[in-house]
Order: sequence, then structure tokens, then C-alpha cells
Amino acid sequence: MLKAEVIQKFASIVGKDRCKTSPEDLLTHSYDASIAEFVPDAVLFPISTEEVSGIMALASANNVFVTPRGSASGLGGECLAKKGGIVLSFTQMNKILEINTENRYAIVEPGIVISDFQKAVEKVNLFYPPDPGSSTVATIGGAVMMNAGGMRGIKYGVTRDYLLGMEIVLPSGEVMKTGTITAKDVTGYDLTRLICGSEGTLALATKITVRLLPKPKARRTLLAIYDDIDYAGKTVSKIVEAGIIPATMELMDKTVIKAVEEAFHLGLPLDAAALLLIDVDGDAETVERQAPLVADFCKGQGARNVRTSSSEEENVQLWTARRAAFGCIARLRPTCLIEDAAVPVSHLVAAIKKVKEICERNNVQVAVLAHAGDGNLHPLMLCDQRDKEEMARVEKAMDEFVEYAMTIGGTLSGEHGIGINKAKYLPQQLSPTSLRMQRALKNVFDPQGILNPGSFLEVCP
Amino acid sequence: MIAKELQEEVYNCIKCGLCMNSCPIYKQLNVESVSPRGKVQLIKKIQEGKFEATEGFKNLLYTCLLCETCTVNCPSGVKIDRLFKSMRSEILKKFKLPLYKQIMFNILSSDRLLPFCMFWGRTIGNPLMSLLPQKGKIGAIAFSKLPRLNAQPLLDQYPETISAAKTARGRVLYFPGCATNYLFENIGRSVIKVLNRLDVEVIIPKDQKCCSLPIFLSGAREMAIGNIKKNIAVFNSYAHVDAIIVDCATCGAAFKEEYVHILGEMGEDTKEAQKVKNKVMDISQYLAKFDMKKYLHPLKGRVTYHDPCHLVRSQKIKDEPRALLKQIPGLEFAEMAGADVCCGGGGTFQMDHPDISVSITKNKIQSIKDTGADTVASGCPGCRLQINGNLGNEKIKVVHPIELLAKAMGEV
Repeated sequence: MLKAEVIQKFASIVGKDRCKTSPEDLLTHSYDASIAEFVPDAVLFPISTEEVSGIMALASANNVFVTPRGSASGLGGECLAKKGGIVLSFTQMNKILEINTENRYAIVEPGIVISDFQKAVEKVNLFYPPDPGSSTVATIGGAVMMNAGGMRGIKYGVTRDYLLGMEIVLPSGEVMKTGTITAKDVTGYDLTRLICGSEGTLALATKITVRLLPKPKARRTLLAIYDDIDYAGKTVSKIVEAGIIPATMELMDKTVIKAVEEAFHLGLPLDAAALLLIDVDGDAETVERQAPLVADFCKGQGARNVRTSSSEEENVQLWTARRAAFGCIARLRPTCLIEDAAVPVSHLVAAIKKVKEICERNNVQVAVLAHAGDGNLHPLMLCDQRDKEEMARVEKAMDEFVEYAMTIGGTLSGEHGIGINKAKYLPQQLSPTSLRMQRALKNVFDPQGILNPGSFLEVCP
Repeated sequence: MIAKELQEEVYNCIKCGLCMNSCPIYKQLNVESVSPRGKVQLIKKIQEGKFEATEGFKNLLYTCLLCETCTVNCPSGVKIDRLFKSMRSEILKKFKLPLYKQIMFNILSSDRLLPFCMFWGRTIGNPLMSLLPQKGKIGAIAFSKLPRLNAQPLLDQYPETISAAKTARGRVLYFPGCATNYLFENIGRSVIKVLNRLDVEVIIPKDQKCCSLPIFLSGAREMAIGNIKKNIAVFNSYAHVDAIIVDCATCGAAFKEEYVHILGEMGEDTKEAQKVKNKVMDISQYLAKFDMKKYLHPLKGRVTYHDPCHLVRSQKIKDEPRALLKQIPGLEFAEMAGADVCCGGGGTFQMDHPDISVSITKNKIQSIKDTGADTVASGCPGCRLQINGNLGNEKIKVVHPIELLAKAMGEV
């Protein structure tokens, strides 16, 4: 527990209004979108680099734990105060500082919500592609710290691919810049991309510079419907092999379709075994040419039917529904744990089969969702966290699936991060040497271990 | 504790956070504790006995417009607004309503006090109102924009039955609601005139009471129950009526949604309330079946439409009011951006949180101005007060769609 006089000192930096210690505020900063909960001692809402720097200097001097937080839509407890101390919420530090159309970059504060930022750049015909399912909730700061991926990964890559530079605050309180605003930059180690994906354990981002693309002039959404999930999986690997690059390629199985349809009433086929939601984008002519090509391709791979959207409104409806899939699943069971392994796309069909087999054997209800285009599986394990025995079965199924993913060259986590739940698996993927190097890096940035304590490197056995 | 079936709702929240970006208040304050997700989690903790409802929690519970945007956007289907409404009633077992609400609700729920106060209001209050300082405000509404009370309540202006001139094409009960009865008589006159023109017989039950929605949504269900039961009994005492017509989004939401839920949650029989629910129609809904073209003369100008929360979300009425406006010849219809976003009024919310309220309303006013419309139509007196009260020097009129329709049918 933090002493009252220490909290008082922090309050003097941000002011009383932005230093919260009421039980309501502490409890509402004790969770994210996973099942983990840790109650912090105080929540601070800084709105400037100076405040963040002051907070960290004070935290260093008093050995106070600090855990950064965006919108807390994460799935692994990364933004929770696992060892108590302060939660540093960036939700009020949310301005767009610059959108530069001449050089196609933007500078933002970390707390801006991704979709709000995307809308702002699209107004001036620019495009910020990284598009996690939670983009209407998640902040850019959170996305940077987690290197969020999302739906457009197959064509456009992930958050890391759009970072040009940052202003960061070190755990000591020192402020420094990484990267530049230029398109190319090889000056020194690439600290920008090291901090991106560090799960908030190395430094805090206070300004983020991202590169932007011209906004695609057109897009079309296709809905390929399958009677056999294998065919859907096969289509994905074949499309990749054939050199066609759609903007997105999302797979939903029967259970996900049912939950989404129940929530949105879009007329999705409830009798289908799986469907692929595919976007093609680009110039109008490219889209006109590619859409039928992709449709034919899907049919050739066994799609029962391929529907093509007729309007942007319909596109938006379909993607809004996809975005909400995680939430929709709660209609079936109260708790949902998401697996996040990514596998080589050629193994997609086998991996889906395997996860179903594992879950069946362990008597775990599973639904399959996947950013299929980049091999990022999201098996949704449906359960009720109040049922301990069931949760044990779910954990066993997860263990088995991770082990399998490792054998085929997959990764523990494609985009959600390691957090606390997957930390125990780290040694299965990272060698002792790799872990030693990573710990050494952490030590350089944060020798006192005050930034986001209890994170993956510490929890990992 | 709150009703059993609602208690289970908290476990259906998967904490995805999709409600936050849709919450007008969270978008202003950016603090998790005011977000729907935050409040649902706190209710869960209270239910599990891990957190005692505090004064702070009570304040959070009332830092909510009950606009229902979170509920309709929740992919998990959590009945968030029902949970909050029920919790408000629960919390009043421990904490008191603010004094102004106690007074206001006592007046609204009383047979004698309401007419008494309205009498003195129009006799003394109306003339005194012009003496109020120009810059002052009550809640989020500027003094200068406060409406005057009707010279005579609408209910006293008409007989109970207004027969159709020719063979009646329909027979309806009409519930004007307090706002039309005491403040906006032109809405009521317009409703009656339009129905009359369409040869519909209108019955205005004289013993109708305030729908009491402001009372029970503030949590004071016990104070409201008398009015609720009286209204249900009055409505069901008339046989052979096609519909019970309301011109107020809020009263409509009370009759169609809230009465059944509240009685159910209080363990009362809901059969009679269900009958009312099935008969109540918003005026825009009822008029949808009529071909009115031959009655309509051209109007000038450009109109935009604001969706009241209690119409678009509580009652799922979106197209009907627009259809009414679009069929008026000469009147240009312009859709505003975010028409279904809450105006920030939220009934008594604007009294409790004028600053948050005004900051939300500013966006609404901007959307209205962006359309270039000279008139904004909306079927809710609360939205009307809120929007009009924050228009400043803008020369934009705020009206009920039915007023424009009646105007297009010729002078009242």
C-alpha cells in the first residue's frame, strides 16, 4: 500500500482532480478485457509529457510501482497493477498534435482512440491501416505498447510497421526521442521498434509519430460461405500462395456466426460451417477486377456461395459485426478466453482441426475466429470463470494447443501479447539466451524494476 | 437487492469495452468509472459483497443520461440500462434524492399539487420570468430560453371526446403528457387537428396522470407506482380504441417499456401493463398508415431531425418521424451527422450535471448548424428544451414534427 503522503506528492503533480483514490476509481481500474484483476493504490491521469516525467522521477525516488494503461481492452492483464502501486491512465492525454499531409505522417498523444484517429486522417484522404478488432475502444498508446495487429495484417502489416518515432519517458523520468519524422532512418539502434510491443515494461510513450498511406479509393467486402471449415482454411492458404493479397481475410466458424447473427441480424447463413470475410481495396479499377477474381477463387476452393457487398454501408455493417465478435460470444457463455497463436498459413487447416480436437477431448466449448490471412488463430474458449473445474480444463486445452503450435513453427502470441497468462509458456519459444538478453534490456531501461512490475519476464519460470 | 434475472446480467459483460466509445459521457470525461463497463463492474462487486455502495458510487450511477446507447451497442446483449435503472431504485434505500427532486416528484405525482403549482406558475411565474437575468441558467438551460406555461392546460381546452366530422376512420385515446399539457400546447393542438382532419375520433381521458418516468428513472419507484397504476387503469377502461396516442417520446417509452419492467421487477402483475404496451403508439407511428398528401400545402425552409433517445432506442422508432417531414411539400429535409446521438439533456441529468450536459449539447448544435437547416424537429420535450436552451443567438426553431405537419395542413 502506498502511504498517503506519497500519494499526496503525486497529486501535487497532476492536481487533485486527476489523482484518484476513491474505491470506485480503484476498482474500475482493476480489470481489462481478460479475467485478471488487480486493484491499484492510486490512478493518475497525466495530460502532458512534463507531468509524466515528474511522476516517473518521483516514482523512481520513492520506489513506487507504475503501470501504464490505455482503454484497458487488452486480453492479458498487461495494463493492470499486478503488484499494486500506481496506474497511469493516458485516456485524457488524447490529442492529435499534427496531421502532415505533405509528408504523410501524424503525431498523436497516446490516449487517442484508434478509430477516432483513423476517422480524422481519412477526412484528409489519408489512411492509418493497423486495425485491431478493438479499434473503437483501444488507444494508440496501448496499440504501440502491445504492437497490436488486427484485420488488415495480411496486406498492411501491424502497428510496428507504421511507427516513425516517439517521445518517451524513461522510468527515471528522463525524456528522450526515438526515430524521426522521415520515411527512412537508420541512425542508431531502432529503439522505436523495440519499445513497440514491450507491453509497457521499458518506457512510456508520450508522443507517437506514425506514417500514413493515401486512403484507398475503393473497397469491396466479400462473404464466402462454406459447408466445411477445412475448405475455408484451404482457400486462405491457396490465396496467399497464388499471390493475391486481399486487405483482410477473416474466418468465423459456425458458433461465431451464430453469436454475431444473434447480436446484429445481418442475415448471415446460420447453416454454414464457416465463412470468410474478405476485403479488397485500392483503386476502383483494381477493386472491380480483384473482387470477382477472389470470389471465383473461393468458389473454386469449395465455397458454397460468395456474396459481394453492394454499398459502403453494408461493408461497414459487416465489419462492425466482426469487430464485436468477442463481445457477441458472451451471449453463449459468460467467460471467453482467447487463444492467440499464429501459425504459418500453410498449417492453418491442420491447426484449426487440432484445436477442435484438443477442446473436444478436454470437454471445452470452443469457437474459432481467425485473422486467417496471416495465420493468426483466435480460438475462443467459452466457459464460466466461476466454475473452477471447468477453468482447469480450459487451461489444460490451452497448454496442449500451445505445445502443438510450437511444433509447427508457430508463435505463442500473434498480437494479444504475453501478459500474465501466457508467461509460463515463454521458455517453450524463447531460449535461455534469448530470455537473458531480454532481461538485460529491461534492466538497462528500468534498473529499479518499477515500470509495469509483474509482467511476462518476471512471471516466466 | 435488484431483481434476480438482472443480477445475472453482470456476468454477461465480457469487459470488451465497446460501450465506452458510444457513451456520450465517457467521451467527454475519459474516466473509466463513468463508463458503462465501469458501472457494470461496480454493480457486480456490490452484488458479490466485495464493495459497499458508497456516496461516490451513487453519484456515478446518476452520472448517466440513460440514453441507452451502450445497451443497443453491447455485442453481448447486456441489459445495461435496465441494470442501472434498477440499481438507482436500490440505492435510494440507502441514500436520499436531492431536495429539488423530492419536491419536483411530489408535485408530479400528486393529484392536487400539480394543477395548483401550474396555476400559480402561469399566474405569477410567467410575468416574473422576464425579470430573470439574461445570462442566468437553470441547469443547462438559459433563463431567456425557458418556455412560458400554457395560459390554460391543454386538457381544459378540449372536451373529453372530439368526434370526427364525417364517419370516423379511427378512434384513439390521446395522452398529451405534462409537457404538452402545461408547456407546449401547440403540440397538442397540432395532434388533435391532424387527427381531426384525418377523421379520427380523439378521446382525451381527463383523469390521466403524469407518466412518472422522471420519477422512477431517478429511482423513486414507490413514489411513481400510484400514477403508473392509475394510468394503466384509465387506459384500459376504454374499449374499442385503435391506439393510445402519445406525442412525447418519454411518455411513450414509459408506457411501452418501463411500466412492464418496473411492475415486473417490483413483483407486481404485469398483465394490464402489457395490454397498454401493445396499444400505445407514437403519433408518428400512428400516422404512417395515412395518405396525407391531399391535405398538405407547401411550407418553406429546410428542416433537420434529431432522434430522441426515448424514440430511437427505447421504442426503435427512426423512420416514421422522418417520413412525416419528408412528405411535406416545399420543405427540404437535411439529415444531420449523428442524428441519433443523445442531445445531452437526459431529463434531470442537465440539472445535476450542467457542465457535462452542455459539452455534449454543443456537438449536437454544431451538427444541426452544419445542415444549414432553419428548423430542427424532434418529438421529445426534453430534447426541445435542451437544444433550444443552448442555441444561443442562432435563429433556428425547435419544433415537434407534428407541428410542421399541422402547419402544412393550414393554420390551427
